[in-house]
Amino acid sequence: MECMSLLGVGVCAPDAAFRASLPFPAYDINRETIPPLLRRRSSQAMQMAFSAAITACEQAQRSPSSLPAIFASVAGEINTTDQICNELVKTDGVMSPSAFHNSVQNTAAGYWSIAQQCIQPATALAAGSDTLAMALLEAWCQLSCEGGELLLVCYDEVWPGYLAPGSGNPAFAYALLLAAGTVDGRLMHIGRPQVGEIIFPASWTNSVNSMPILAAIPLLEAALTGRMPQAVALTSHTPGWQVNVGGYE
Amino acid sequence: MIISPLISPVAVTAYQCVSAAGDDVEALYASLLANQTCLKPLTLFAIPFDTLVGEVISPLPKISANLQAYDCRNARLALKALNQGGFRADVERVIANYGAARVGLILGTSTSGIYDSENAYARLQQDGVMPSDFHFTKVQTAQATAEFLQLELGLQGPCYAISTACSSSAKALAAAQRLLNSECCDAVLVAGVDSLCRLTLRGFNSLQLISADACHPMDAGRQGINIGEGAALLLLEKPGAENANRPRLLAVGESSDAHHMSAPHPEGLGAATAMAQALRLAGHDVSEVDYINLHATASALNDLAEAKAVARLFPHPPRCSGVKGLLGHTLGAAGAVEVVVSLLALERCFLPGTCGLQVPAPECRFPLVAAPALNVSPRLILSNAFGFGGNNASVLLEAA
Repeated sequence: MECMSLLGVGVCAPDAAFRASLPFPAYDINRETIPPLLRRRSSQAMQMAFSAAITACEQAQRSPSSLPAIFASVAGEINTTDQICNELVKTDGVMSPSAFHNSVQNTAAGYWSIAQQCIQPATALAAGSDTLAMALLEAWCQLSCEGGELLLVCYDEVWPGYLAPGSGNPAFAYALLLAAGTVDGRLMHIGRPQVGEIIFPASWTNSVNSMPILAAIPLLEAALTGRMPQAVALTSHTPGWQVNVGGYE
Repeated sequence: MIISPLISPVAVTAYQCVSAAGDDVEALYASLLANQTCLKPLTLFAIPFDTLVGEVISPLPKISANLQAYDCRNARLALKALNQGGFRADVERVIANYGAARVGLILGTSTSGIYDSENAYARLQQDGVMPSDFHFTKVQTAQATAEFLQLELGLQGPCYAISTACSSSAKALAAAQRLLNSECCDAVLVAGVDSLCRLTLRGFNSLQLISADACHPMDAGRQGINIGEGAALLLLEKPGAENANRPRLLAVGESSDAHHMSAPHPEGLGAATAMAQALRLAGHDVSEVDYINLHATASALNDLAEAKAVARLFPHPPRCSGVKGLLGHTLGAAGAVEVVVSLLALERCFLPGTCGLQVPAPECRFPLVAAPALNVSPRLILSNAFGFGGNNASVLLEAA
């Protein structure tokens, strides 16, 4: 496989001030993207992931029910996990069954497959500050081995402040609808993630260091504005993971 | 029927395992042959209900001073497995052969270091702050033990965690095979690691899935699961003359139930799809499978769905068994742990028994192996792992 084609993008940033600071359009959570029965108990993580994913599918005019999905997140369902951990300390602490099964890293992936009635494989991955890079690499490998198209969703909700002081804010999610090879109607080509010397934009380094999922800002800027460098950094450290981009139509 | 394969096999050039059934693969092999449960009362912490667990009770190694921030039970279990039976030397060999940048690492885990976080939360409630030696992204988040192993071994290739509950490390094998097939790596270390913790024990108890006694997988009287812990490591390389005597990972089939967060599809549709997908990707037919290592948690609904899936897919099902009555359900590690069990079966010519089985459930319309079957030579084995979110994976292995 020479490249992947980006067919659709969705970006969700619930914090209005942060959203306004982004160099490309992003949207607030759209609760209509979550089936009513799931809405009440859905986390911020899931709401953002679904909002971004639906936008990307709509832009590419693809049905979610036919797409394999990769959900990537540094901290996953961290607020549900945090609530459980606080209960577990108490001798009479109560854990609800749904809180437990909603604390797994693949909560968003599982509910996505249920909500979309999608029986295609859904995976959930995490890679700390390399989460975006490894998610793109996983997407590359799936498309290179099996062809077709897939949905990649990266997200992190706001983390409880005491877990990693100074980190875990603001919440952010984005979805990329990717296809194997060159496809008509693409937003751009994305190459195979590789380690290189591209330097991450200094204006976003502090933000990314406190919220690793924001590492996609240069990639999203290229995709959504057409201001296309040859390559973009996927992490704030150098040398680090990067991708070649191009083929803007 | 000849079907052309869609993915290339990879060689499993080394594997190792630490679990309640023993500190290395030799001890695991002996436990499989003995077929006596290794489940015992929990010693690690107190829980407010009765159950037995698959706890690793032998001492765990210390994390070296320079990687102290990563110290947690999960990392220690991984390190213990790494130090067994020359496995570390095999990793050093692939680094020397291919270069550190060409060796990837994929961890399958569901708990990560949450056990140690639980202890930190006790201090949080007491002191109002987390202890100063608590490192959220080096202990609790899913990639933590992957990062630890990468630094411990000096690997520089791709490194990430797959965390899809109980299918995590089976899917890690799938991701590793794709890294090799896509020429992104020349070797990949796959680790399945999970450790006992309050969250999973009390969580499964809240779902009323925990068994008070040692579990009875696929049994008519099954009453729930026993949680275990473990670390299984597998080294995958491209096949070649130098590893022609090693077993092959042919393919991993993956699917989603699209049904319920914590209950399987009642007809086992997703489970059947995953098994069929593994065979399709590898270009093999159901008639060629010699043995299925079942997920068989001993939960009433899970075993029923899996039994239906096997009966649905196989007109003439092969012999099947499950090992969770021996060493417990190791959750995110289960896929890798039970692939190691399956590789032992391939290499040492036996089929594991189903420890705890008394009366096979009526829906098990396949030959269920109760006691270990010796002097058999399975060539093609499926090993199943199914998780929350209706997340299914089935690993297809072939003898050398």
